[in-house]
Order: sequence, then C-alpha cells, then structure tokens
Amino acid sequence: MEQRNDNQLKKFSWQQLVVAVAFLVSLSVTIFFVVRAVRPVIYWHYHQDEPIRAWMNIGYVAHSYRVPPHVLYQALGLPNKPPDKRPLREIAKAQNRSMDEIRTLLMDAIVHARQPYPPPPPDSGSSP
Amino acid sequence: MSITDQLLAELVVYGVPLLFAVVAVASVGVPFPVSLTLVAAGSFAKQGEMSLWPVIVAGSLAAILGDQIGYGLSRWRGRPLINRITRRFGGAAKINKAEALLNKWGGLGIFFSRWLVTGLGPWLNVTSGIARYPWRRFVFWDVLGEVVWVVLYVMLGYFFSDRVQYIAEIIGNLAWAILALIAAIIFGWKLFRYFRPAGSVTA
Repeated sequence: MEQRNDNQLKKFSWQQLVVAVAFLVSLSVTIFFVVRAVRPVIYWHYHQDEPIRAWMNIGYVAHSYRVPPHVLYQALGLPNKPPDKRPLREIAKAQNRSMDEIRTLLMDAIVHARQPYPPPPPDSGSSP
Repeated sequence: MSITDQLLAELVVYGVPLLFAVVAVASVGVPFPVSLTLVAAGSFAKQGEMSLWPVIVAGSLAAILGDQIGYGLSRWRGRPLINRITRRFGGAAKINKAEALLNKWGGLGIFFSRWLVTGLGPWLNVTSGIARYPWRRFVFWDVLGEVVWVVLYVMLGYFFSDRVQYIAEIIGNLAWAILALIAAIIFGWKLFRYFRPAGSVTA
C-alpha cells in the first residue's frame, strides 16, 4: 500500500517537473522576445536609417534616408524622370555591379546630400 | 539574396496581384514573410507606388481565400482521415472533447489567430475544418480577424513608411512573445492545478 503511494508520488513529481520546466522555458522565451521587440522601440531615434537592401528601389531609399531622389539617381547614373522603380538588385544587374558597390555609391551620395555637408568654409582670408 | 528580399523586390515590380498571391498562399500555411510584405505594401502605398485601397481589399480577400482553402481541405479530406484513425487506434473521446472545446471557444481563437497570434492561423483553419466547426461562424470570425490584420499591418507600414524593416522586426518579435506567453499561461495553469490539491489537504 505504502509502495503504491510512493509510486504515485514519484509519477506526480515527474509530471510536475516536466510542466515546471516547460513553464520556465516558455517564460524565458517570452522575456527574450519581449526584450527583442522593445529594444528597437527604445533606440527608435538612433536607428532612423534602415540598412539598404536589394529589394528596395531608389524611391524607398530616398524616402527612408530623407534625401531628394534625384541625388540617388545621379549617383547611379540614371535619369531622374520618369522615376526608375526597379529594385536595386535589377539596377545592379543591369549595370554589372555588385550590391555592395551600389550600396557604397548610394551611401556616399546620401552623406553628401545631408545637411550640414559640406561644412561652410571659414571666411579667414577677408578678416584683417 | 534571401527569399524575403526576392519577394519584396518582386512586390515593387508586380504590385497588388503578387501581394494577393503571397497572402493567399501564406494563409494556407506556406511560411512566407507575409507580415513584412503587408507592411512594405503599406509603405509603397504611402510613397504612391501602390494604391492603399486595392492593397487593403486584395490583402483581406487573399487572406480569407487562403483560410477557406485550409478549412475546406481539412473538412473534406482531414475529417474522414481522422475518423479512420480513431476507428483503428481509438481516441474518439478526445476528438469529441476537442470539438466541444472548439465550439465553445473557437470563435475567439479564430479571431485572435488572424491578427494577434498569426502563427497559429493556418493550424486553426485545419483544426476547425477537421472538427467541423460551423462554416458560417468560421467565415464570420475569419473575415473580422483578417480585415483587422490587413488594415493594422498595412497602416503600420503606411504611417512608418520609412522604417519597414524595423516595424516588421518588432511585429515578428511581439508575435513570438505572445505565442510563448500563451504557452507559459497554459503550463502555469497546469502547475497551479498540481499544487492546489496539496494546499487544500494541508489547510
């Protein structure tokens, strides 16, 4: 009789352990994903610029980086009008360039298009 | 280039018809990055490259169509299979219990799995079909949930049109967090029920 009670207790404990582990794992996974979801919100203002990806077109990159589109068209040697809606991967293929090259050209144009750039030179020559 | 990049690149070129196809196929259960696609479509609508209303209407119709395919296939093909299995191996009582549970809570489950816990959507289509959840009620909750889903995701893309990837990342992580939280609540409740009889004996 006592042995049967022991067996029942053991079985009960084993089930409890499995459920407790599953509970802790699912709770940990919850916390992990909440942290991952909240982090971009906290650093929202530090991540204004999205990484340039092959699916984006010039219009989207200009919109995301807040620069006039014609600057980016010019950087890739494309006419400004009508707007080229091809994704960057298509432009890269047509120009026989890698996506890294395209990215570098666009980033260079973005940096130069943003204010204040270039900084105004000090007018040192005119002062006495 | 990843599947996500390829899909979004094609979305820029082919627009609404591709959006329809992607959302419909994903709603049947094919793991496509559909959340990012909807958010991106909202962003393209903001930039004037796609029209907002066709995006919302096509997205909603496609999601509903995909769900109906999942429900229909599992109702007509899945149910006879389950019947054969229970006849041979037993377990009919458990299936009946699951059916009763689905009839009681299925509506809310269907609604929330459309837009809040989207990963469960295709599974709920299949279980609803197998359990013969009433089709009219399924359609009602499905339409309601899918419209909420499409409008919510597209409008997020529309309002945060310059940060499509960040928005999709946040949404994706939140969806996993909610799924894990539901699991934690279920296991926590089971654990609570284990401890409750012991507490009542000592009291």
